[in-house]
Amino acid sequence: MIHIHGLVKQYGMNLVLRGVDLEVAEGEFVTLVGSNGAGKSTLMRIVATLLQPSSGYVQIGGWQLPQYAAKVRRHIGFVSHQSLLYGDLTAAENLDFFARLYRLDNATERVMAALKKVGLFARQRDPVSTFSRGMVQRLTIARATLHEPDVLLLDEPYTGLDQDASLLLDNLLRQEHENGRTILMITHDLTHGLNLCDRTVILNGGKIVHEISSREATAAEFLNLYTYYTRNQREKQHANE
Amino acid sequence: MPMSEQTSLTRPPESEARAFLTAVLAIVWKDLHIEQHTRQTISVMVMFSVVTVVMFNFALEANLDAARNVATGLLWATILLAGTLGLNRSLAIERENQTVDALLMAPIHRNAIYIGKVISITLFTLALEAILVLLFIVFFDKPLWRPVVLLVLVLGTIGYVAAGVIVTSMTIQTRSREVLLPVLLLPLSLPLVLPAATAVAAYMFPQLPDWGEVQSAVYIVIIYDLLMLTAGFLTYHFVVES
Amino acid sequence: MLPSARLDKSVRIFNWAAAISIFIALLVIFFYAPVEKTMGNVQRIFYFHVGSAWVGAVAFFVALAAGVLYLRQNSRKWDTLALASVEIGLVFLTMATVAGSVWGKPAWNTWWLWSPRLTLITVAWLTYAAYFMLRGAIEDEERRGRFAAVYVIVAFVTIIMAYLSIRILRDIHPVVVGGTMETAQGASEGLQEFSGLDSAKMGITLMASTTAFSVLYVAWLLNRIRLQQLSDAVKDLKIQVTAHLQGEHA
Repeated sequence: MIHIHGLVKQYGMNLVLRGVDLEVAEGEFVTLVGSNGAGKSTLMRIVATLLQPSSGYVQIGGWQLPQYAAKVRRHIGFVSHQSLLYGDLTAAENLDFFARLYRLDNATERVMAALKKVGLFARQRDPVSTFSRGMVQRLTIARATLHEPDVLLLDEPYTGLDQDASLLLDNLLRQEHENGRTILMITHDLTHGLNLCDRTVILNGGKIVHEISSREATAAEFLNLYTYYTRNQREKQHANE
Repeated sequence: MPMSEQTSLTRPPESEARAFLTAVLAIVWKDLHIEQHTRQTISVMVMFSVVTVVMFNFALEANLDAARNVATGLLWATILLAGTLGLNRSLAIERENQTVDALLMAPIHRNAIYIGKVISITLFTLALEAILVLLFIVFFDKPLWRPVVLLVLVLGTIGYVAAGVIVTSMTIQTRSREVLLPVLLLPLSLPLVLPAATAVAAYMFPQLPDWGEVQSAVYIVIIYDLLMLTAGFLTYHFVVES
Repeated sequence: MLPSARLDKSVRIFNWAAAISIFIALLVIFFYAPVEKTMGNVQRIFYFHVGSAWVGAVAFFVALAAGVLYLRQNSRKWDTLALASVEIGLVFLTMATVAGSVWGKPAWNTWWLWSPRLTLITVAWLTYAAYFMLRGAIEDEERRGRFAAVYVIVAFVTIIMAYLSIRILRDIHPVVVGGTMETAQGASEGLQEFSGLDSAKMGITLMASTTAFSVLYVAWLLNRIRLQQLSDAVKDLKIQVTAHLQGEHA
C-alpha cells in the first residue's frame, strides 16, 4: 500500500533523510521508532503529501508522490501531535467542516456516528478548546478517519496523554487496524503502541537501521535492540553537549 | 493495487468548478462560524479603529474643518491598519493547531483555500467599514452613504485583502510575524488606496461629481484587484507548501 | 561554489565597458546636446533622470523574471539574480529620484511634490526596500528564496500601477514615453513646463545616456552576483569546517 524508495531530504547542507526504503502492505500496522532528530517527522510529512523529497519517491496505492498528491489525499488520514482542529469551533462543527472539504455523502449521520465511536457524542456542542488533551486526541482520530481513509498516518499520537487516555487510544487504534486500514505510526516512545503493531522499524540518522516483526521479540528484547541500533546517535549527542 | 480517485463515500464526480466552489464555501462557512463564536476579529478591528479616529480627532481638535478635510484619508488609513489586525488574526487561527496542514491534506485545490480566506477576511473588513462609515457620517458629517463611495470601498477592500492574504501567509511563517506585515503590505496597497481615496474624496461635496471625473480612478482600483487576485492565484501554493 | 572563470572575465569586461560608456555619455550630454529653450542648462539633468529611471524599471522586471524562474526551477542562481537586480534597481530608482529632485527645484520651485507619480515612485521604493526586510526575517534558505520570489512577483504590481496611474490620473510630472495626448493637454493647461524633446539631437543624447546606464546596470549586476557567490561559498565553507571540527571532537 505504501512504497517508499530511496527517500532523501536535504535542508541546505543538512541531510535529514539519507535514502529510506520501506514497504507497508495493505492492512499492515507498522511503527517507526527513532530518537529526536532521526528524521521521523520529515519522513511522515513527505508521506502525508505535505513536504516534497529532495530525491527518491513515495507511492501510495500505486500513485506516485508528489506528482499524484492530489489523487492520494482523499485516501489518507493524518493524526499528529498537533490536533489539526479549530479550538473555537464545536466538536460537531469541526467534523462537519472536514466532511464538507471531503465532500462526503450523508455528512450529518457520518459525523454523529464518528462522535459516538470516540465517545464524544454528549460533548458535540462544546468548543474543542474546552476539551482535555485525551478528548482532543480522540476527536482528532475521528476527524482523520471521517472519510474512511485506506491509509492512516500517526505522528507521535501518544504525546501528552495520561494512562487512561493512552489506553483509549490503544483501543481506537486496534479497532482501526481490525477494520483493515493500513497504519503507519511514528513515535519516540517505546512504552506505547508497540504491542499493537505488526512490525517495528528503527530509524536512526536518517536511515532505517533495523526491522523487526512484533511476534519475534519481547518488549525487553526490543529495548536492547533499540539501544544497540541508536547508540551512535546518542554518543554523538553526548559529545556535542 | 491502484486506487481509484473517488471512494464509495464521496458524491459522484462533479465538475471541477463545482468542487472548487464547495471547498471555498466550506472555508468561508468555517471562518464565519469561528467569528460567530468568538467575535474576536471584528471586535478587535472595530475597537482599534475607534481608538484611531478618536485619537485623530484629539490631534485636530482645535480645527474641526481640518479634521473634515482629511476625513477620507483617515478613513482609508484606519481601514488599512485595522485590516492588518484582521489578516493576522484570521491567518494565525490556521497556525494555532496547525490546521493549515489539514487544509493542505484535504482533496481540494490550493487556490480554494486562498479564495476562501480572501472572501471571509473581506467580509470581516466590510463589516468593520459599515461601522466606520456610520461613525464618519456622525463625526465628520460626510455623505459616505453614496453608492459610488460604497462601491469603491468594496472594490478597494477586495484588492487589499487579495494582497494581504498572500503577504500575511508569508510573514506569519517568519520570526518577526506581526511586525513585518505592515512594512510589507502597506506600501503594496498604496497604489490601490491612492486612486480609491481620490474617488471617495470627489464625492464628499454636496453636489455630485461627473462620473467622467472619477471613472479612471475606479478603473485603476479594478485593475489592481484583478492583478493582485491573479498574482495570488499563481503564487499562493508556493507560500503554503514546503 | 566559487564564481566561474567566465563570470570573472565578464565582470572585468563590463567594468571597463561601463566606465567608458558613462564617460562617452557625459561628453554627449554636455557637449553634443543642445541647450533647451525654456529650462536652459538645467534640462541636461533630464538625461540622467530618464536613463536611471528606465534602468530601474528594467531591473525590477529582471527581478520579476528571476522570481518566476526560481519558482519553476528552484535553483539558487535565480534567487541570487533577483536579489542583485532588486538591490541595483533600488540604487537606480534613488538616483532617478535625486536627479528629478534637483531638476524640480528650478522647474517647480520645490524639491518635492506629493503628486501621484512622485508618490507612487516613493511607494515602489518602499515596496522593494521591504523585500530585504522579508529576506532578513527568514533563516531557511529554501524558504527565503521561495518567499522572496513570490514577493518580487507581487511587488511588480506596484510598478505596473505606477505606470498606469500616471497615464490615467492628471499629474504635474512630464510624460516622455507614450503620453503625447496627456502632455499636450497638460501643456495647454499650463501644468507642464516641458513638452517633450525639441530636436533629434536630444533624442540621440537620451539614447546614449540610457545605453550607458544599461551597461552600468549589467556591470553592477555581474559584480553583485559574483559577490553573492563568494559570500555563499564562505558560508558553505564555514558549515563544512564546523561539521568537520565537531566530527573530530566526537
